[in-house]
Amino acid sequence: MDIFSILTPLSIVLVFTGVFMGIIFGAIPGMTATMAIALFLPLTYALDMVEAIALLIGLYVGGISGGLVPAMLLNIPGTPSSLCTTFDGYPMTQKGQGEKALKIGITASIIGGFFSLTILYFFAPILASIAIEFSSVEKFLVILFALTVIASISKGSLLGGVFSGVLGVYLSLIGMFPDNNTLRLVPPVLEEQLYYGFALLPVLIGLFAIAQIMQEAEEGMKPAAHQNINLSKNKKNKFSLRIFNGQIINTIRSSVIGTFIGMLPGVGGSAASITAYSQTKNFSKNPEKLGTGEPEGIISSESANNGLIGGALIPLLSLGIPGDSTTAVLIGAFLLQGIQVGPLFITTNPELWSGIVSTLIIANILMFLLMFFSIRYMAKIVYIPKYTIYPIIIVMCVVGSYAINNGVMFDVWTLLLFGALGYVFMKIGIQLAPFLIGFILGKQAEKYFIDSLKGSDGSLTVFFTNGPITIILWLMIIGSIAFAIYDNYRTKKTAQEETITKVS
Amino acid sequence: MNDFLTLEFKFSESHTVFPKIVLSILVMLLILIVINQVIQRYKDGKLTDFNFKFFTGNYDKLKFYGTVALLIGYGLTLELLGFLLSSILFMFLIMLLYIGNLKRKAILLSLANSILTSFIIWFVFGQMFDITLP
Repeated sequence: MDIFSILTPLSIVLVFTGVFMGIIFGAIPGMTATMAIALFLPLTYALDMVEAIALLIGLYVGGISGGLVPAMLLNIPGTPSSLCTTFDGYPMTQKGQGEKALKIGITASIIGGFFSLTILYFFAPILASIAIEFSSVEKFLVILFALTVIASISKGSLLGGVFSGVLGVYLSLIGMFPDNNTLRLVPPVLEEQLYYGFALLPVLIGLFAIAQIMQEAEEGMKPAAHQNINLSKNKKNKFSLRIFNGQIINTIRSSVIGTFIGMLPGVGGSAASITAYSQTKNFSKNPEKLGTGEPEGIISSESANNGLIGGALIPLLSLGIPGDSTTAVLIGAFLLQGIQVGPLFITTNPELWSGIVSTLIIANILMFLLMFFSIRYMAKIVYIPKYTIYPIIIVMCVVGSYAINNGVMFDVWTLLLFGALGYVFMKIGIQLAPFLIGFILGKQAEKYFIDSLKGSDGSLTVFFTNGPITIILWLMIIGSIAFAIYDNYRTKKTAQEETITKVS
Repeated sequence: MNDFLTLEFKFSESHTVFPKIVLSILVMLLILIVINQVIQRYKDGKLTDFNFKFFTGNYDKLKFYGTVALLIGYGLTLELLGFLLSSILFMFLIMLLYIGNLKRKAILLSLANSILTSFIIWFVFGQMFDITLP
């Protein structure tokens, strides 16, 4: 296959390193794939584009997959997307079938990964070729759609989610407006430092890494409740591919759900595996057994969460809109290499596109081999104490922020400032994911909005009358808002019912 | 009607158009949230019942404020002392803080981790890849 021809030996080594480090990050509770990519970004300054992507894709695949280890062994999801893996994985470990559970999860992961990769390969170019025709009106509406979707999945209050997203947009506007080179929203003292606004990377790692560490410090850095685990007490009940007999439909359905939820901009994370798990429960022959240690549940959760990867890359590579917080960091990586992702990306960078696809194939295979044959040793990762790992992470964050613009001390202060802000946000109920997506998309939203108005002499009707695609986009926006209101209403109702049953 | 749907602005003012719109949406959302809260509280009959706590009950004051202080201190000393020295100092102190005692083992462990990590980062990033460090 000629798509592999672009890979150099170095890039294969880097995929391997990426997958390996990613699994470690995914396996340590509290560390996520997002954090792994953000921390390794500085290393990519020195690499060329294909090699940089090789490392980052490896980290992405490894980071998402590694989350299943603590989910099954400690009942703590290593990444948000492995939440549902705990439901059946942990009970299996308690029954002494830990190793079997891990191997089922790993196998389901690679199936989900390959499924979503196939969809990415065929679907992203089609979507991009449609998006090439977009004028600034459609581009603005796509961003608006992305922002409404985030709001609709935000946990807790719907209004709070929307507020968080819009706040992110507002803060992204700080600095100079490139159209007329005029500063706005900048305090006079900081005019020089904030000329281009806050740099994306320090904001990002501040919000995720530093804020997290501050929260852990508040709770006193307690070690997670580690149990003594015997991986396979039950020697008779070993893993074999036969478990997957009769689970084919389940696996495919969960991979499809994972991929398509990953495609929705801003969703990602736990939504995919939760949806897949609840569908598996709906279709299962014996739904009452799910949650007590059934392979069926692990298969659905894990194939969905690896299906997410290919799905989340589709809007990123074809529209330039991140599908989740991890791909948001990837945008930063592309920008660092001077590459603008968007509708033109695949046609103008064909070798990079095939590089991404072949890296994903290799990363999935390596992930499987690494985890399948060394899972007994990998499982020990969850015991690394926090007091060793957190100081290292802080220093890596500082190095990354300082180096991003070749040594700007203000970027380190940005990192610390947004670390503190992220911590306060978590306390007062402003949600980080919508905020971040708003922050990333804010400037583009403004550009397309102003461009549209310039083209129409200031008439706002242009957003409704610009052809059939605008109508479709508006329908999608209205649909996602309607769904959000319905979903919000439903969760409130079930929550009320639950409290009623608890009281009675 | 047509006037309402037209937004006129001069080129020199175009940088203020979008921030103004976003800010007004933010304010509107905030008002909505407040109204929503008041209605909810009125329904539950605890309109004046405020018990929002910023910190979790009996939070670790030493570790929390220690982290904040050390982070700021690290930022201040970075350009003053250079990357290696300030990183070793910072990592050593924050690790001791997190371990939470001053036993021999804790000190040795922190010393080893801080020196080793700082040197590896300095070597890999600064020397091998030629990345600008403070």
